[in-house]
Amino acid sequence: MSADERIPQQAAGADPVRVYVSQLAAALDGSDPALRHDALVDAEVHLRAAIEAGTPAERAIAAYGTPAEVAHAYRESSGGGVIVSEGASPRPRPLPPGAPPDAGARYGLAAIPVIGVWAQSAAWGALLYFGGIGLALALFYFSFAVSFGTLAIGLMPTVLGLPLLVLLLASVRGLSLFEGKVVEFFLRVRMPRRAQPVAGLAQVGFWKRIGCWLRDVRSWMSLGYLVGNLPVSIVFFTVTFTLFCVSLSLLATPVFYLLGLPMFRNPGDSDFEIQLFGTLLSGPDGDGTLSGLAVVPLFILGLALMTGTLWVARGFGWVYGRVVQAIQVARPQ
Amino acid sequence: MPMPPDLPNKIERDLSVGTAWLVVLATIAGADEPIHGYEIGRRLADEAPEGLSFKQGTLYPMLRTMEADGLIRSTLVPSNEGPARKCFTLTPDGKRVLGSWVATWRNTNRWVNKVLGEIDVRR
Repeated sequence: MSADERIPQQAAGADPVRVYVSQLAAALDGSDPALRHDALVDAEVHLRAAIEAGTPAERAIAAYGTPAEVAHAYRESSGGGVIVSEGASPRPRPLPPGAPPDAGARYGLAAIPVIGVWAQSAAWGALLYFGGIGLALALFYFSFAVSFGTLAIGLMPTVLGLPLLVLLLASVRGLSLFEGKVVEFFLRVRMPRRAQPVAGLAQVGFWKRIGCWLRDVRSWMSLGYLVGNLPVSIVFFTVTFTLFCVSLSLLATPVFYLLGLPMFRNPGDSDFEIQLFGTLLSGPDGDGTLSGLAVVPLFILGLALMTGTLWVARGFGWVYGRVVQAIQVARPQ
Repeated sequence: MPMPPDLPNKIERDLSVGTAWLVVLATIAGADEPIHGYEIGRRLADEAPEGLSFKQGTLYPMLRTMEADGLIRSTLVPSNEGPARKCFTLTPDGKRVLGSWVATWRNTNRWVNKVLGEIDVRR
């Protein structure tokens, strides 16, 4: 039996659950951070429940399995490696838990360098998320947290203040978990399936429970994340939406040309024209239409800009997804 | 050629992969009300025969995969003793799959017992 297969031995006085969890964390080193987080929360919640039910810590840990065995089980499940008969999978899984992000990006059209981004679901998901959904959600989270927080602080001199603050902290933890699911869906970055429990909530007594909530660093982190997310989302939205609109308008030039519709307007100036290196790009009558000569290069420019926009969105998604994941898996306690 | 040292454990290892899914689904099906992970692990550990052990730490990733595959569904049930607990029930697909697995297991069991009944390893 190798060192990492043994049930952890703890120093006298050390919390055996914490020792086990730290050994499990070491055994899962290098795994997806969200998968590792789930494994650690599962172990901690299970072992604490077993000990509270009267099982001696050593027996509970032995029944749970060695860190190596448990780590192996999580790794197996992360890639969909557990064998299931065909009948057991009634529908395809949209994203296997712990699958590398953009797993589909390695095959077919998506594998083509540079332009393959057009076939990558993660890029379109990021465009959709940063182009509107992310900002709408960020606005809602911010408004909710600020208005609820202000109300709780305003009522602090009364008996309602503290319970309202606890309710806010519980709500933002739920919202933060929900935001993780949204980010996972659009940006294809795995998020934890479980929230870390609030330490000591098993203590009886209303005021003691309130104290546990107020000391819970994770809840305050969630509140900070939901408030701080708004300015970040505004920046991402501005860049993504501007690039997308410009790309789309350039891609639409052939349609405008064929329908004879004006691409631009300059009211009151019938002599208005656009020239590029001496070549007239605007139509001959100053009516805002484009000449046939301008349509092809502008369309090609639109294709290039849209490809760049998809790469920018995908890059934002990669960075933002990992930041959200890091916040969700942080274990400050 | 020497025998690989872990070969005697091969059957236990191979069997545990398939049977774990079966017994976990059966435990959820047998519960009167939605059942949480800790309780599933406790029941399986209590009912494990001498010499066999069910490692409870392997249960949670299994439950998560089963849920993603649509075999079980979970609901959060508030608890007085701590955080809300995730409790599981079988979905209609889960019931159908469990029925087919039980039939497969019973057939396999009959067949293996029949074959084993005719051999004498000491001979």
